[in-house]
Amino acid sequence: MTVLPPGLDQDVFERALDEFRAAIGAEWVFTTDADRASYLDPFEIGDQDVHASSAALAPDGVDDLRKILRIANRYRIPLWPVSMGKNFAYGTAAPEMRGSVILDLKRMNRVLEIDEVLGTALVEPGVSFFDFKAELDRRGSALWMSGPSHSWGSVIGNALEHGVGYTPYGQHVESICGLELMLADGSLVRTGLGAIQNSKEWQASRWPFGPGLDGLFTQSNFAIVTKMGLWLMPEPDGMAGVWISVPRREDYAALIDTLRPLRMTDVINAPYTIANGWRQITSGRLRSEVWSGPGAVSRERMEELLKERNQGWWSVTFNLFDSAEALDLRLARIRRDFERTLPEATMDIRRWAKGQPQESWMRQEVSLAALGAVDWGGNPGGHSDFGPIVAAVGERAEEVYSIIERRFIEFGKDPWIGMFGISGRALIFVADMYYTRTDEEEAARCRALFRQLCNDMVEIGIGLYRTHLHFMQDAVKMHGWGNAALPRLNNRIKDALDPNGILAPGKQGIGPWASSGPGIGL
Amino acid sequence: MNTLVGIAGLALAIATIGSAAAKTQPEAPRPSDQIYAERCAYCHDANGWGTRVLARRLPASDAVLLNRASLPPGYITFVVRHGIGAMPQFTPSEITDAELAELSRWLGRGN
Repeated sequence: MTVLPPGLDQDVFERALDEFRAAIGAEWVFTTDADRASYLDPFEIGDQDVHASSAALAPDGVDDLRKILRIANRYRIPLWPVSMGKNFAYGTAAPEMRGSVILDLKRMNRVLEIDEVLGTALVEPGVSFFDFKAELDRRGSALWMSGPSHSWGSVIGNALEHGVGYTPYGQHVESICGLELMLADGSLVRTGLGAIQNSKEWQASRWPFGPGLDGLFTQSNFAIVTKMGLWLMPEPDGMAGVWISVPRREDYAALIDTLRPLRMTDVINAPYTIANGWRQITSGRLRSEVWSGPGAVSRERMEELLKERNQGWWSVTFNLFDSAEALDLRLARIRRDFERTLPEATMDIRRWAKGQPQESWMRQEVSLAALGAVDWGGNPGGHSDFGPIVAAVGERAEEVYSIIERRFIEFGKDPWIGMFGISGRALIFVADMYYTRTDEEEAARCRALFRQLCNDMVEIGIGLYRTHLHFMQDAVKMHGWGNAALPRLNNRIKDALDPNGILAPGKQGIGPWASSGPGIGL
Repeated sequence: MNTLVGIAGLALAIATIGSAAAKTQPEAPRPSDQIYAERCAYCHDANGWGTRVLARRLPASDAVLLNRASLPPGYITFVVRHGIGAMPQFTPSEITDAELAELSRWLGRGN
């Protein structure tokens, strides 16, 4: 099926494709049905064709990029930059606006620098976590990578999308130190101290003379990131892996209020994750093996399954990083706090010391384990996530949790809910909607559930951390304060930097183009 | 004086360690066994997630990709570009058409 960029007819698009071929080489302009199929979202919540691309281009550097931008601006062709294109559950490589041309940066895949002294690196967009770990290992580096739950994605892409990991450097966007950007007009800019000729400090300090701009280019469509500096953690002297099981549903608020001060004071010095009961019963099983009734797996059945495995209603997992003596102190403090507030909680601990072989619980090895749960509800499976940002205060977290659990059950979906304690002060909820991709009714039900939850969250003043392509407009519309002052500012920045709006139209609801019409405030 | 020596030593360390900037994915067509090792084996070896998922609906002997009795090249090509079940697809920037054609023949020969 032919898919065209909006507003272009076949002849004009063919002329543009010929110009792209002349600019970057015909072999790097992908137009066949099989090529375009490889950029569809494998976990689309409904019809993949809604987010189909018209072609894909794979430049090998900034010179190619500049040529592509010149042509795209002339023809007003929307470009959708992807680094590895593995943003599973949020759209993968597919564009928000049907007919966009994928700008596939996979060929820009150099690890430009790893500085063992300062613990920094400089990478290009096509470097995956697999690639990066292999390069660290090849060099015998004493620096550790903070990877997400699956390693197929791009180091840059994950950080720019506010992805998370499980080490003290687990808020990946906060490890960014210096970006190289290509603006829509083809000009190349280095942020931070990269603006200084011959700088040796580009990756050493985030805050230059003047505004720090790095955050502006995360979860946005203002420019194409061509290089990123990041900070890496020196190998720790030791680690402790901690698993806490909390028995009752009604313990939730106390659990959050127990964890918050431990995380805020850095006693727990890496992100923690919390899983509710439904999230724990899936591991290694299929839904059909445990539930054949209508609607969501019932609370009674879920509790029965937890009991079989001797698991509590809530599980908490985190790693601590320190010397053996300091780990003892951290663990003693955690035990003391839990004994005071949640005396029935149980705690399992594993230890590791520098020089010992690494183990899987340390999450230092690359992994694709997250893909193993995709078929939970049926094959071919998919999932997308509802991810509100919630203050790490028991009462507030309980308010949000109870709404999400109730709505999931109301819509016939298993409330598969987790929370990341990325920082001390806020939780990122991840409520996964699993579905069978060929079941149109189920996909429609998931979309309706997501939108219902957006409405519920706006009512209580909550916003989202990230969304699938389908919900970019829903998410941006939650930012209504001051007559949508922030979305309006974003649109003004977009208009100044990319007046033709060719870069990632629809992304985060910013700019004049999107599949559902102009963004908020336009 | 000590400070100056320290700074010079630091600069030398950075220059030495940071000198390599090799492409992590070379552009010349890669041999199929290398592509298999880099892109497929992680999920499709005996302990991989892909093997575990396949074992839910295939005989154990067929769940490991390299043990599969029949793997028509056309089927492999289609699956790699379109994905199947829980397996997401691969783009031509990850595995080129030429590499995929050879990989499909290589897997089809029962390697």
